Amino acid sequence: MMLGWNIFPFVAAVVAVLAVAGAVVALIRRERSVLAIGLMCAAIIAMLTFIAMLWFTLQRPPLRTMGETRLWYSFFLLVAGLLTYARWHYRWIMSFATLLAGVFMLINILKPEIHDQSLMPALQSVWFVPHVSVYMFSYALLGCATLLSVVALARRRGDLNAAIERLLYGGIAFLSIGMLTGSLWAKEAWGAYWSWDAKEAWAAATWGLYLLALHIAPTKATGRNTAYHVVIILGFLALQMCWYGVNYLPSAAESVHTYNQ
Amino acid sequence: MVFKSNIGVAIMVTVIAVALAVMELAIGSFPVDIFRFPVNILAMALWLTLLIVAYKQRATSRFARFMLSQRAVWLSFTLIAAIGIALGLERKPSSDAWVVVASILFILSHLIFITLRGWRTARGIRWRFTLLHLGLIFALGAGFWGAPDREQLRIAVDSEPNDEAYTMSGKPRILNYALTLEDYDIRLDESGMPEHYEAQIGINNERHTIRVNHPYERSWQEKIYLISIGEDTSGERYCILEIVREPWQWLSMTGIVMLIAGAVMMFVGGPRRSNNDKTTVRE
Repeated sequence: MMLGWNIFPFVAAVVAVLAVAGAVVALIRRERSVLAIGLMCAAIIAMLTFIAMLWFTLQRPPLRTMGETRLWYSFFLLVAGLLTYARWHYRWIMSFATLLAGVFMLINILKPEIHDQSLMPALQSVWFVPHVSVYMFSYALLGCATLLSVVALARRRGDLNAAIERLLYGGIAFLSIGMLTGSLWAKEAWGAYWSWDAKEAWAAATWGLYLLALHIAPTKATGRNTAYHVVIILGFLALQMCWYGVNYLPSAAESVHTYNQ
Repeated sequence: MVFKSNIGVAIMVTVIAVALAVMELAIGSFPVDIFRFPVNILAMALWLTLLIVAYKQRATSRFARFMLSQRAVWLSFTLIAAIGIALGLERKPSSDAWVVVASILFILSHLIFITLRGWRTARGIRWRFTLLHLGLIFALGAGFWGAPDREQLRIAVDSEPNDEAYTMSGKPRILNYALTLEDYDIRLDESGMPEHYEAQIGINNERHTIRVNHPYERSWQEKIYLISIGEDTSGERYCILEIVREPWQWLSMTGIVMLIAGAVMMFVGGPRRSNNDKTTVRE
């Protein structure tokens, strides 16, 4: 194969070195670092160059197999991490995005058999990668907001409110985009934007709880609000049900979101 | 009086929920079909008029003040979460239950009140506020008021022209066009899993390709989806198609696009605080 998966380990090494360097610089520097942003941009460009080469070699968009999908996850996770750092200056976010992207690149290196494993026809859609990667990023932000809420409840202080609220805004924005791109995809795949399928129902429950948290946020930056933190934690529990818990419910048997791969 | 305390609201909600559950047991699910066009348009116009009249009386009306209160915010989002959890636990969820219909009508009404007030008062976040709230009204409202006009039919198609489709409850419907299966293609990967399948469908002497995620758009309100492909016991090829007629789909789409734009603005803008960064401007 000409300039295809055979060179991916080298590309992954270059991307990893650049992304890790960017993440470390972001962690060390107190202010927003241009160097960290530049290093992460270089990692993203390296990944994008490989995707373009693969596209050219395959003579089709690389969106059909499991391996190709994981490539896009890695790419979008780095992009989302960079955007969030550039906008909000969370020093840890690029480390988190690099770690998650690294896991997917490593799977592609350690399991070369998935490079040619077909994605089932229902998942072969332009919506698949943005829908899933945006969701994964929102889970990360909302997970951090939940951890801070647990700490805030334990300390019985409101000094983490500003950080929680920022994470909540980013997390809910990505969660909403994930859900809405999913509904556009559902219309093209099944003919309905929303059908109250088990997974969709739990997504609505998650969204409702997080929106409630957003609307009852303490108006004072350091104000105490136990209900606010409890609702954030409940939202995260509903999110776990939506993500994988629903698969263990009897209602999953009728779900169109059940895939064998 | 009931709107003035948390306990009053809780009692009122419980009484209404019990009454709706009794109604469900007595007469079955909400009669969606009664509200087919033009009844749904007339009912929606009446509902909007009543809401606007009630909003204008917000200085004196306890109902209007409740709909603009933090209690109504709690109630709306709790209802969304409760509907999600209840339907998420059901094997065959029905969104036509009286309590679900009433909850969505309340949520929509609350959204209208909040949007009427907020588009003037949401200082600094007016665009994102309007996109998010109006987008949700469009998306949720099109799904709610448009549901009676939505039609979902299934039809088995082989080499002979067929115009008899069936509703999801098994009632026959004659189409004003005939469908034939001209050809199909299935490709399996090395593990024997389907990698790609598509059908060539003849519709009134025109040939169209339909595959998963790529329906054929027959008109502005109708799309035809490929569900499955196979061969019967005599070896004849057939496919199952789904015909979806949804005149309100473009309003849903407009609402979804507005919501996505609002969510992007929410990420970029983040929480808005006043100049001394001590208080948050509420959404």
